[in-house]
Amino acid sequence: MFKTFKFTRKVENILMLIFTAIFLIYISLSPDMNIDSLKGVLIIGVTVGIIYGLVAVGISLIYTGLDVVNFSHGEFFMIGAFTGLTVYNFLVDGELIYAIFPEAYGVVGYVIGLFFAFVLMGLFGVLIERVFLRPLTKKGGGYTVAGMGIIICGFGLSVILQNVAYIIWNPTAHPFHADLGLPINIAGITLPMTYLWMLVTGFVVAGALYFFLNKTKMGLGVRAVAFSKDISNLVGINVPLYISIIFGIACALAGIAGTLVGPTYQVVVYMGYIILLKAFASAVVGGFGSLPGAIVGGFTVGLFETACSFFISGSHKDAYAFLLMVVVLLIKPTGFFGVQVKMKA
Amino acid sequence: MLKINGLISGYGSVQILNGANMKVDAQSIVALLGGNGTGKSTILKACSGLIRSWSGSINFDGEDIHNNPPHKIVERGLVQVTQGKDVFPAMSVIENLRLGGFVLNSKQKLEDNLEKVFNYFPRLNERKNQLAATLSGGELQMLCIGRGLMSNPKMIMLDEPSAALAPQIVLDIFKNINRIRKDGLTVLVVEQNVRMALLLADYGYVIKDGVIKVEGDSKKLMYDDTVKDSYLGGGGTTANV
Repeated sequence: MFKTFKFTRKVENILMLIFTAIFLIYISLSPDMNIDSLKGVLIIGVTVGIIYGLVAVGISLIYTGLDVVNFSHGEFFMIGAFTGLTVYNFLVDGELIYAIFPEAYGVVGYVIGLFFAFVLMGLFGVLIERVFLRPLTKKGGGYTVAGMGIIICGFGLSVILQNVAYIIWNPTAHPFHADLGLPINIAGITLPMTYLWMLVTGFVVAGALYFFLNKTKMGLGVRAVAFSKDISNLVGINVPLYISIIFGIACALAGIAGTLVGPTYQVVVYMGYIILLKAFASAVVGGFGSLPGAIVGGFTVGLFETACSFFISGSHKDAYAFLLMVVVLLIKPTGFFGVQVKMKA
Repeated sequence: MLKINGLISGYGSVQILNGANMKVDAQSIVALLGGNGTGKSTILKACSGLIRSWSGSINFDGEDIHNNPPHKIVERGLVQVTQGKDVFPAMSVIENLRLGGFVLNSKQKLEDNLEKVFNYFPRLNERKNQLAATLSGGELQMLCIGRGLMSNPKMIMLDEPSAALAPQIVLDIFKNINRIRKDGLTVLVVEQNVRMALLLADYGYVIKDGVIKVEGDSKKLMYDDTVKDSYLGGGGTTANV
């Protein structure tokens, strides 16, 4: 008979440290290693990481709140990017914004684009939850027991949303020329303004989410519903409403992340797929279902991926996130923060 | 205060309640007794809207609350308090209590109610910044009752407040339940600890197979041999205390 083998927490942590040490030594032996490239990798890694983190937080929120792993979350990211792009182009093509802000029309247009991506994707998420997920889960007996079927439906929804975007915005890649100003110099690193916007907005949104969840009454309700729907019912929380709110917030986060990423690359119908998988890897690395874990996991995946593609080989960029996920699953299956507070006795 | 008529309900397609009738007068303590799987908790869940009632009526404070959504029932002033393990373990004691007052609209009322709850259970005040997961069994039960009181209810329904607690703590909690009643609330208590429940209550119901089999004054029920023998497991009742 096989014995089930499990590391204790201490061994897990030591193994993680050893893995980190080997990895750091390996990249420090790389010929490209110098202080400037290290700074660059750190800044880009954190920037990419906060985006992964924002999408991963959405996946974790939906997982804890609805007991559904949302495989269509990447599509909300993609439609969010298109929404931001459309709003930006609409504003910048018009006369009005030049008249009011002749100097900073690009920045103003972009901020309005971010705002619309956030709000519209939030409302779109609520709509999808109400008309698509809820009737389906009702047939399956409610969110907690709907199980595998709803996960397959998530894939279906993903295909449907991609095709809807295909019809509206056509399949070609759209360049997102956000006119945000000249690249700036931070600590000897030249950083495009789009990356700075990603970094700053990402942290602002993550901070706002933290404030919302921990300091407001609605956030308290969200946390309660995420933990237990039965107890939430008993204390008088309108649980169906809060489930919609949770889904809406998660989709709004994906939407704003999409508009943040858009200008650094281009906006395509298929862009949601890879970010979904990377955010998924981030959520697993940080501990599935944990919100701080999702952000930390996002940073870890972002830094690891950037470091590997810079110091080892850039041609396998998309594989590194999953390599890290596999390593973490082998050594520390719960992820960094994957421990729920359990009751005594 | 609460009137239940011919209530039929259950889980999925399994019928548990077969037409239960009950009445709880204002500012009284009523005990609902019965063995495992007789439908005690099902009645509470149907009253608080956690499960649908298939037929029959539930009338609270002059209004029909039958199949209302749970948060509306809490707003009306009928609160169910579950066993002590049903708290939010990753939140602090004070956050748990604030959640109890979720239906309140004014901050002032929330603070007043916190004051009131800490007055009943000073222990919670000492531990208000601790995570609920670190509390002992008795403290968890106090937290659950306190959370129920936070929304200014007219009536609370307690689901086995004595479950898995030491006798001394049970006594303490029951004393507090009595104080709560003296302050004007109506209490329905579901218990397996028959002796204690009947000492506390004014009136008792004994449920079996989803229907009320015996009812009466609690002092009378305590010495009723048919109650002891037929529905509460014979001589086991006294050993329960």
